[in-house]
Amino acid sequence: MRIRVLAGITFLSLLRNKLIVLIFGVFLSIVLLMSSPLLTMKSMAGENQATAQGMIANLLSVITAMVSGFGSLLAAWSAADAVASEMKTGTILAILARPVRRWEFLLAKYCGVLMLMAVYVIFMFAVDNVLAWIAGQRIVTGSWVLVVYPMVRYAIYAALAMWLVTAMHPVFAFVIVMFAGLTANLVSPESLGAMFLPQWLRTALFYVLPSLNLLSEDRFLAITAATLNKTPWHEHAIALAHGLDYALVALLLAAFCFRRRALARD
Amino acid sequence: MTAAVEFAGVTKIYQRLFSEERVEALTDVSFTVSPGEVCGFLGPNGAGKTTSIGILMGFLFPNAGEVRVLDCPPGDVRAKAQIGFLPENFAFYKFLTGPKLLALHLALSGRRVDDPFGFIAGLLAQVKLAGYESLRISRYSRGMVQRLGIAQALVGDPQLLVFDEPTSGLDPAGRKDVLELVRSLKHAGKTVFFSSHILPEVEQICDRVVILDRGRLVRAGRLEEILVSGGRVEIVADHLPEDLKAALALPVERTPHGVRLLVEATRKREVIETLWTAGCDVVSVNPVKDSLEEVFLHTVGGAA
Repeated sequence: MRIRVLAGITFLSLLRNKLIVLIFGVFLSIVLLMSSPLLTMKSMAGENQATAQGMIANLLSVITAMVSGFGSLLAAWSAADAVASEMKTGTILAILARPVRRWEFLLAKYCGVLMLMAVYVIFMFAVDNVLAWIAGQRIVTGSWVLVVYPMVRYAIYAALAMWLVTAMHPVFAFVIVMFAGLTANLVSPESLGAMFLPQWLRTALFYVLPSLNLLSEDRFLAITAATLNKTPWHEHAIALAHGLDYALVALLLAAFCFRRRALARD
Repeated sequence: MTAAVEFAGVTKIYQRLFSEERVEALTDVSFTVSPGEVCGFLGPNGAGKTTSIGILMGFLFPNAGEVRVLDCPPGDVRAKAQIGFLPENFAFYKFLTGPKLLALHLALSGRRVDDPFGFIAGLLAQVKLAGYESLRISRYSRGMVQRLGIAQALVGDPQLLVFDEPTSGLDPAGRKDVLELVRSLKHAGKTVFFSSHILPEVEQICDRVVILDRGRLVRAGRLEEILVSGGRVEIVADHLPEDLKAALALPVERTPHGVRLLVEATRKREVIETLWTAGCDVVSVNPVKDSLEEVFLHTVGGAA
């Protein structure tokens, strides 16, 4: 009951967060601006259909990856800010004076962030489909993949940010999460980046950092008319379990660090 | 009977990681507040009052010593279920209205009431916020926010109320209302622990006073004991020869009963013996009851 109430108020606070609204507005403008080249390319389709179709598919992939990546930023920042803003304003004092345990408070904040991300994922799903429709393409994948995979990925980012913000300023927490995500992608076995690092370090970092390649819905997303390769259910199960496990560990670490955190108005 | 609040040898040191800076906010502070008492928590700025309240509420952790609140460690949900807390500069979710904020705190308190809307309307009326139900808190004045903070502290029907500067930001009428409220809480058997700088108010309603100065406990006890133990006594003699008056060098006042002398308690015997030796008759000897403000200023050396 208490967690539900606090999660609800966190969700409402995040929807009213001016910074989040501003960044979201800017991002939406960029996506809309990028949709105009789609229309241009579509009009070229008659001249050289094969080339145009390829370009449209590539551009669509870039936009969907951008939308998906922005979600990661949103998840990390929302989680960091959800906790930090309570400490900054001092509202946490009135809340934790109630019979609310510290881990319950964190869990409620986390649930509030996930509620925001659920709204974002629905928005993302709609944007992907609308853009594909504008480009005359079709997204060939299961709808649940486009919803569940990003949610798990955002759950990891949010949990990591929440853990870090229990010990540091939200901006630092946000930057570290983003850096960790970027590094994880660079050291993944498929990546050609960060080759200067020794192999043992690349492998170690790949396992320790939030290696999101596995959790990317891009693996299953095919914006072509081609038939999607069938993915066995256990591959989905393992990938999602890995993500949820990572998020759970980060959340437990957050609860542990927050247990003895001195609380006062910043 | 178990104390409502118990501090035993509490020390709190603030020290930043990788920093030499070290602030000893509390040093070996011990006091108790019994159930049903109204306790004023006094001290000049920086005395450690808010730190003590933070420890009491489980927001901060002492470096040494032990704290018990309603027979539980601070921060324990069993204790928090029976505590109503008003922080200094009460902060809130500004986009909510007063009734919605109280509904949130009612839900968090775990208290079940038959008619939540009627209950919240009653609370708002009690703190004189009726008529502002649709106004967002962001548009409240400072005094209104403080009243709302008091209402949220009362929402769970707590046994112990911890108020950090409850009258700050209130006009004289608002301060009077808060004092009346504290009196009514006392009559209802609640324990009230509150910090304040407005000493005449504290003197009006408190049973017990705890005074801190620079992190150390300087006075603690029942109010009447503290007021009479200001360290001075009033001696009334039938007459006082001029040479003796000059020799004693004491504040002297003529009254219908004789000559009144104000003497430090430590000099009481010496002065009485001097008066007797000089042939004066001592009519009465009474302890002087100071005002709390006088005791406070005397105790903390005028630091406030």
